Amino acid sequence: MVDGSQLAPVTQRPPLREYLGRLWERRHFIRADARAKVVAGSRGTLLGTAWLVLRPVLDAAVYLVIFGLVLRADRGIENFLGYLVIGTFMFQFTSRCLSTGAQSLISGKALMKSFAFPRAALPVATVVRETISYGPVLVAMVAILLVLPDSPVLSWRWALVPLAIALQVVMGLGLALLAARPTARVPDLQHIIGFFSRFWLYGSAVFFSYERFVSHPQVLELVQLNPMFRVLEITRDCLLYGITPGAEAWVILGAWAGALLTAGLVVFWRGEERYGAL
Amino acid sequence: MAPSDRFPAEVQVAVDDVHVRYRTASDDATLRRGLPRWQRAANRLVGREPTVLVRALAGVSLVARAGEAVGVVGLNGSGKSTLLRVIAGLETPHRGRVRARSAPVLLGVNAALLPELSGSQNVRLGCLAMGMTPDEAEAAYPQVVEVAGIGPSIHRPMKTYSSGMAARLKFAIAAASDPQILLIDEALATGDAAFRERSEERMNHLRRQAGCVFLVSHAAKTIEETCTRAIWLHRGHVVTDGPAYDVAQAYRWWAWNLAKGQTETAASLLEDAFRQGTDTRVVLAPEDAGSAVPRHARLRSGGSV
Repeated sequence: MVDGSQLAPVTQRPPLREYLGRLWERRHFIRADARAKVVAGSRGTLLGTAWLVLRPVLDAAVYLVIFGLVLRADRGIENFLGYLVIGTFMFQFTSRCLSTGAQSLISGKALMKSFAFPRAALPVATVVRETISYGPVLVAMVAILLVLPDSPVLSWRWALVPLAIALQVVMGLGLALLAARPTARVPDLQHIIGFFSRFWLYGSAVFFSYERFVSHPQVLELVQLNPMFRVLEITRDCLLYGITPGAEAWVILGAWAGALLTAGLVVFWRGEERYGAL
Repeated sequence: MAPSDRFPAEVQVAVDDVHVRYRTASDDATLRRGLPRWQRAANRLVGREPTVLVRALAGVSLVARAGEAVGVVGLNGSGKSTLLRVIAGLETPHRGRVRARSAPVLLGVNAALLPELSGSQNVRLGCLAMGMTPDEAEAAYPQVVEVAGIGPSIHRPMKTYSSGMAARLKFAIAAASDPQILLIDEALATGDAAFRERSEERMNHLRRQAGCVFLVSHAAKTIEETCTRAIWLHRGHVVTDGPAYDVAQAYRWWAWNLAKGQTETAASLLEDAFRQGTDTRVVLAPEDAGSAVPRHARLRSGGSV
């Protein structure tokens, strides 16, 4: 008999803890992949990486015209321009995490066919990439807020914003992991996710105040539970209005971020062996 | 019983009854006619084609030991590349198991890596994806560039490369690691004479280092010259598994008959080969210890690589 105890299966899903360890070993790969794609994403256009900032600016301009000037949704909102800028600049990060994360396995097919690495590296890398692009967007956002006619309220509360953004990134990571597995199996979901994102956009009070339109108590409660609404609310309270966000907002956001990341990791890890057959 | 009593060299790879199948679209008209009416209508509505089940591997078992160079021959579409991808762990078989002493590394030439990125970025990324640290990747870089030998094109996006250049770069990246178990997929067939020489040199070096090597090629001559043992695959089945010379000769004679249109001769040759071929059955012992026992003792052609 041959001593086969030294033979290990070539495709085996390690326990979750070990899986995370292996993922950590590939952190250099994840970072390099994310960095390279930030640059490659805008290659071929004239303005290059400037589009990272230009896109949300133009988005905000569209919403300003439609909701501010045509529909007059700005009534009752103090510093509507600042309100709108925060909404559009910050929401796009989450929706991009969701859509690029969902496609990460499909677009990384060539890498998966060539090298053996924990497949979660692909969705994680897309979120890292989005986070790297998010930096200049946030800087631009603050710069715009400062030059707007209604100046924001400067206070110690600005220090709370990075925490809200960190929770938003964690949430984006969970969403990317969660969306990647089913989308790899049924690519049609890419389209469904687009619709879901838009629906979410309207439900997160990005460009109008929900209080003016929603009177139904249950719907109101639903909006209050929406984590993206909470991200925007916390940021606006801190940056624009100088109000300390309540504990409820932090608890809801934190719970969503933790739950989404845990669920995303477990769901993705359980499908690990099946991503090769794409 | 001591391990060395019956088997001279340690097992490097054990493949146990592996099945792989794909469900894929097909525009075969006869298939469409076989479908129920409502499904045909639905397919037409969404512009989808009926799917077929392709059996890429249908029960392949084999054992490879240290110091062996195993050639895999077969026609296009016989499952050679799939077998390598399964051994490399890049694809999970539908049924069956693959066990290996260390992580096998696949040298393929087909994958395109990331077409948007430049060649040098792909080199770095590929090295990191194989698990190197940034320092190791940095150290390996000059060698990869030298083996690839594509000059200043290394700084251009990979989508602008010719297929030959892309294949060379891909080979060079994969060859940068020093694996114990090396899987080579048609690497020698690409590139011009200068590259072939460089890549052969690099491959010989890797083979001396490696515990065992698998080489896929549809050129039986290459197998005959470089391998100690060969496996003939036909439609996902192992036809024969034996000394490289014998298997390659049998395969070439069969393929020659097939090419000349002697289908009957070819069919009977294939049948003969099937009958002479020995089934390998891999028995994985309990307690998760994979023990591999070929059912029939077979004389392997001696000599090292």
